[in-house]
Amino acid sequence: MRKFVVAALLAAGVAALASAALGSTKSPARVSSAGSAVVTCGKTRTIGLAAPITGPAAGIGNQQVRWAKFYVKRWNAKKANKNKQIKMIPGDTQLGVDTAFAVKVAKSFASNSKVLGVVGPAGSQEVVASTSGYKGGGLGFVSGSASRTSLTDGHTDGNRRGYFFRTVPNDAAQGPVVANWMTKKLKWKRVYIIDDQETYSQGLADGVGKILKARGVKVTRDSISQTDSDFSSKIAKIPNNTQGIYIPWQLAPQAQTFGQQLKAAGKGKIKLFGSDGLFAPGIWKITGSYDSAFPYNPADPAVKAYIKAHKGDGEFFGLPSYVAAQVVVGAVTKACADGKATRAEVRKAIAKTSLKTSILGFPVRFVKSGEMRAPATYGVYQIQSNGSFKRIG
Amino acid sequence: MKSALGQRLGNLGGLALALVAFMFYAVYFSPTQGWTFFFQLTVNGIILGSLYALIALGYTMVYGILKLLNFAHGDVYMIGSFIGFGVLTLLGGPLNPAIPVALLVACMFVVAMLGSGLLGLAIERFAYRPLRDAPRIAPLISALGVAFFLENSALLLFGSQFRNYDGFDLISYNGIYLGGDTGVFVQYLGLIVIIGAVLLMLALLALVRWTRLGKAMRAVSFDREGAAMMGIDPDRVIAATFFIGSALAGAAGVMFGLLFSQIYHLMGFLAGLKGFTAAVVGGIGSIPGAMLGGILVGLIESWAKGYLNGNVSDLVVFGILIGVMLVRPSGLLGTPALQKV
Repeated sequence: MRKFVVAALLAAGVAALASAALGSTKSPARVSSAGSAVVTCGKTRTIGLAAPITGPAAGIGNQQVRWAKFYVKRWNAKKANKNKQIKMIPGDTQLGVDTAFAVKVAKSFASNSKVLGVVGPAGSQEVVASTSGYKGGGLGFVSGSASRTSLTDGHTDGNRRGYFFRTVPNDAAQGPVVANWMTKKLKWKRVYIIDDQETYSQGLADGVGKILKARGVKVTRDSISQTDSDFSSKIAKIPNNTQGIYIPWQLAPQAQTFGQQLKAAGKGKIKLFGSDGLFAPGIWKITGSYDSAFPYNPADPAVKAYIKAHKGDGEFFGLPSYVAAQVVVGAVTKACADGKATRAEVRKAIAKTSLKTSILGFPVRFVKSGEMRAPATYGVYQIQSNGSFKRIG
Repeated sequence: MKSALGQRLGNLGGLALALVAFMFYAVYFSPTQGWTFFFQLTVNGIILGSLYALIALGYTMVYGILKLLNFAHGDVYMIGSFIGFGVLTLLGGPLNPAIPVALLVACMFVVAMLGSGLLGLAIERFAYRPLRDAPRIAPLISALGVAFFLENSALLLFGSQFRNYDGFDLISYNGIYLGGDTGVFVQYLGLIVIIGAVLLMLALLALVRWTRLGKAMRAVSFDREGAAMMGIDPDRVIAATFFIGSALAGAAGVMFGLLFSQIYHLMGFLAGLKGFTAAVVGGIGSIPGAMLGGILVGLIESWAKGYLNGNVSDLVVFGILIGVMLVRPSGLLGTPALQKV
């Protein structure tokens, strides 16, 4: 009898596994049906916003939320859009805690039939983890910060072409800009690279380190964690004759603390070089430090209005999320032109986006992989004594 | 008693031998910079360890008297640092202080200690006292709940962004070089932290040994019911213990802010774990053990960061916790004959 029960349980388990496997092979059909489900647009259209609202990256995540909301607010305030209002539903991905939160957010958006497109998520690891959720729901998603190069190559981290788009240049574009500036402009021969153990940071550190080594620069590599505040022992290791320290981190207050402790240790003459994750005027304010970041147009009325509304704090890390919201809202509006829309129509409209100008300072259009067309690249900034970032290259 | 003393001396002797062996290994076999580097890391570790020791004292006091692991303690430390930041901001900030800097820093400490102490009282009154006679798992779960409550309350109240004390602007980057211009650099701020922590620890030791409250704490720790029969009010003594332990955590929070500048709502989690590790390594329930454990954890973290590439210091610290637990389950100074609060 016992053997019979065990055999029955085994058979049931095998049957469950087989049905799950069968289900997974049928996933394209489910994608197709979710993507082609017709939604009546009405006067208010819904989009999702996936960002780290809480958790260790909440500081930059909320910048993205505020910039994306800022776009939606401006859109909704226009009289011409009275019957084309946008409702944005936030989803908290808790970047840095567990990618399971990003997956959960993706699934909740996918299962909400009103959601037509998504802004986000923020982290490259979140994009990788949540792609199946978005694809399963037929949703297009536009990230304002996921910059890992392999996200769009169609194979390394999975294929998400036609679904994933980004409004930031990728890391492959950032690394050479940084390395060129270090070797050609600053003539550095001894560089210390410290990553913060996150995928974003390690990718950039690897890329820049590789180029520097190929050019004969002496490179030393170390790591910190995003929860570190005491850098004194790391700083004690850095030789006095080091010319520059590359810190491709995501938390600007951490870079500020690092810079202060570096100065306190008598090594203030060593220059810091950050990445777009540290583009936070007023927070990271170690005078003379360099930073690579996506360009923005300071003369754009939206940029001016945002800075004014936020008491002088531009929160520029979130700026590409404004453009991402602009892309998604534009696509939803286009797809809703006849009063009805499908997620597939929205995805197609995203792919055909053509913004002649943007607050990034250049036109925004996408290539098939989901990357922006040239001239999307990075600029080099230097921190001034008043804490502002001045573009120098 | 003699055997307990002998055991403690044996532990300390073993520890000293291990430290000396590590010192020579680090200096002669490490590819890095020799004695100056070693002593620089040691000074950094003592400064960091002083903070851990202050946090560990709170854990050890509460455990000593209630046998409760107060996992909310790290978040009391976080609230203390935010209170200090609030005082700093109210009084003009680091760049334009409205009152002399020494007075401002003193105000930050006093208000943060008072605020944290009162928070500790409230936690004890509403989260632990009702569970005094419940199974031991109940207050432990309650402690975890309070920790999450405090973290998320801080998120709601102060937001998710980091706040910066700008301690270097407030007190300066200056310090002294020990052993010449290329010697070991000790910031004045670091010295203030070490001296402040030592003074607070000594004050606590004096309180426990020589005051009526201290005697009452020891009595309640030894036998709560017996102490009650002798006319001691255990609830008052436990409340006082929470107040003092939390006030020390508040002081550590301000010291952390002054020294390392950035504070945020989740900062209490890891610091609390390290303080707890320090208390356990030193021998939970023992005040000198908490001090020793704190300094030891700080030193190990600093050396690990200095001598090992990558960020493996937490791995080393918590690995040593496991090692100590396996070899010496009651910690370095945690013998039953020790005086406990």
